[in-house]
Amino acid sequence: MKRLGVAVFLFLMLVSPVSAQTVDEIINKANLAAYYAGQSGQSDVVMTITDAQGRQRTREFRILRLNVKEGAEQKFYVYFKRPTDVERMVYMVWKNIGKDDDRWLYLPALDLVKRIAASDKRSSFAGSHFVYEDVSGRGVTADTHELLGEEGNLYKIKNMPKDTKGVDFAYYLVWIDKNNFLPMKAEYYNTGGKLVRTVEALEIKDIQGYPTAIKSKAVDLERKGETVIDFTNVVYDAGLEDSIFTERYLRQPPTQWIK
Amino acid sequence: MKRIFLIFLLVMSLSSAAQAGFSGLHGFIENDVGIKLSDDTTKRDNYNMFEQRLQLKSNYYAQGESYWARKGMVVNFRGDFTVDEYYSGKTDFDLREFNTSLSPFRSMDLKVGRQVLTWGTGDYLFINDMFPKDYESFFIGRDDEYLKKPSDAVKASFYPKFANIDLIAIPSFTPNTIATGDRLSFFDSFQGGIAGTNSDRHIIEPPFQMSNNEYALRAYRNFGSNEAAFYYFHGFDKNPRSYKNEAERQLYYQPLDVYGASLQGPFAKGIGNLELGYGRSRDDANGTNRMVENSWLKMMGGYSKDLGNDLRVGFQYLVEERLNQGAYEDHLLPNDYRWDEFRHVLTNRLTKLFKNQTVNVTLFTFYSPSDKDGYVRPSVSYDMTDQWKVTLGASLPWGEDDHTEFGQMKRNKNVYLRVRYSF
Repeated sequence: MKRLGVAVFLFLMLVSPVSAQTVDEIINKANLAAYYAGQSGQSDVVMTITDAQGRQRTREFRILRLNVKEGAEQKFYVYFKRPTDVERMVYMVWKNIGKDDDRWLYLPALDLVKRIAASDKRSSFAGSHFVYEDVSGRGVTADTHELLGEEGNLYKIKNMPKDTKGVDFAYYLVWIDKNNFLPMKAEYYNTGGKLVRTVEALEIKDIQGYPTAIKSKAVDLERKGETVIDFTNVVYDAGLEDSIFTERYLRQPPTQWIK
Repeated sequence: MKRIFLIFLLVMSLSSAAQAGFSGLHGFIENDVGIKLSDDTTKRDNYNMFEQRLQLKSNYYAQGESYWARKGMVVNFRGDFTVDEYYSGKTDFDLREFNTSLSPFRSMDLKVGRQVLTWGTGDYLFINDMFPKDYESFFIGRDDEYLKKPSDAVKASFYPKFANIDLIAIPSFTPNTIATGDRLSFFDSFQGGIAGTNSDRHIIEPPFQMSNNEYALRAYRNFGSNEAAFYYFHGFDKNPRSYKNEAERQLYYQPLDVYGASLQGPFAKGIGNLELGYGRSRDDANGTNRMVENSWLKMMGGYSKDLGNDLRVGFQYLVEERLNQGAYEDHLLPNDYRWDEFRHVLTNRLTKLFKNQTVNVTLFTFYSPSDKDGYVRPSVSYDMTDQWKVTLGASLPWGEDDHTEFGQMKRNKNVYLRVRYSF
């Protein structure tokens, strides 16, 4: 019995750190694949928002992204083109690790640069069914991860938030492609264990060697409604500079990057 | 309405022939109605806003390999055609923006022409932003966009390593648009109380000449997530607060220099800001001239926080001090109005979004414990589609006295409705 105990102990010593590392590794790789492809990236984005009554609205913008540190800090510049009442509006984020992101909004009609208080990362992005964290990534250490198994070509992982305050779900499941580590689907469950929201990659394309989700969909199953997001003109590593992500270019959009 | 619609059709037919480099023609057409809730002696009893507006905007980007294209030249245009039923259907054109911007050097930007200028950290409170504003629009409930008036200016921005610098030269003076008695009643010292169309004061603008150019400077930089800025302004007060000639009922915009600083950054899970300014009244630097506004000191602190679920809250506190109050009081005449040394203002903004951020409910409140007055601005807007937007709001100034900042506006209370179609 004692020997068995030692054997079990040794087995756990050997196995559990490995499996724990494996699921964290998968999550880390998925985070890099989904949000950090290339040193920088740019894309035209069309969001089609459909509400519970079937009415559609669209948001068109150009998004610029720069990795400050791989897997960590990033900068985003979002230049709105449509609808016309938000035309030339710019939204800028410095994504921080370990503290709140810095966010700015530029309103062209007032020539106003506004600092925005931004502690809520689970609120809607530009009125869509995507939340901020869907667009810029959820911190990999925000949840504990458990590898539930494999389904075909996918890892199935359960994620429990470490801090349940300010989070609109009790846990979520994510399916990650074994080959390219792109998250293909996520399901968000409430405290009653009911599925309330899904986010799904609908189309993957290889761009400059980076597998890229060029079409995704978020569905709100509670209040109904969904948003489809399409990425076109995706280019990686086109030489975006850090200086773009400053107040200078909020007020005077960098023409070569937003045309 | 018919006239606006005809212009709209004409413009739409022209814009279909869009050229390379043009962003196309966009804008909106809207109807604004503001029903009065209180009586005064302005031109009309029932309403203080009833207008149609067609805004057109377009941008031209320099094309190809030309010098201008390489320097990122853009021509910006934005203008409003208006039909104002308040003045019996008077038509007007308001050129909001018509300028050229480019980057002649790697660390320099230039913007020349008519442009809206804004800086500083306040929310509806301004210390170092000495650019012209339209308080008539503000008090009748036009869109926030119309609170700022454009300036005809040259703005040069420099970006050396140590800081960012904006230098602005404004050759032609643009004053604030304020109540004159025609549309909005206000406190007129010549009438000894709140006046409407009976107001007959004259306001003298600084003549158009080199020595009356206005200059504004801002130097700012980031320290991590915090931003610090220094400001300098040389020009004129944008409100006619000083007397040129009392017997002739003449007021003027007294010469003013402003020196200031601000700090903004993350604070207690939200955003905090501090701003201060010292205004030097060049025509009355020691405060002994009872006809001319004294120098002043203003300070404000603000805090805003995102409470989650699209609910945001913001608070501000502003204190203004008239400098040389003793000298000012010593030189007053027996029948003069005596203004307090200090003015304190508190503000609160509450914003909540509903229905995928298509419904915006906002309540902005000013309250001055020293003036015993305030101003409440509730509004609800609904983006019905990407094209149609409806806004219902109210403009509710109040005050115990007739001569204070908001108290003098108390007979201008209204409820307004705006319907806008964007294209």
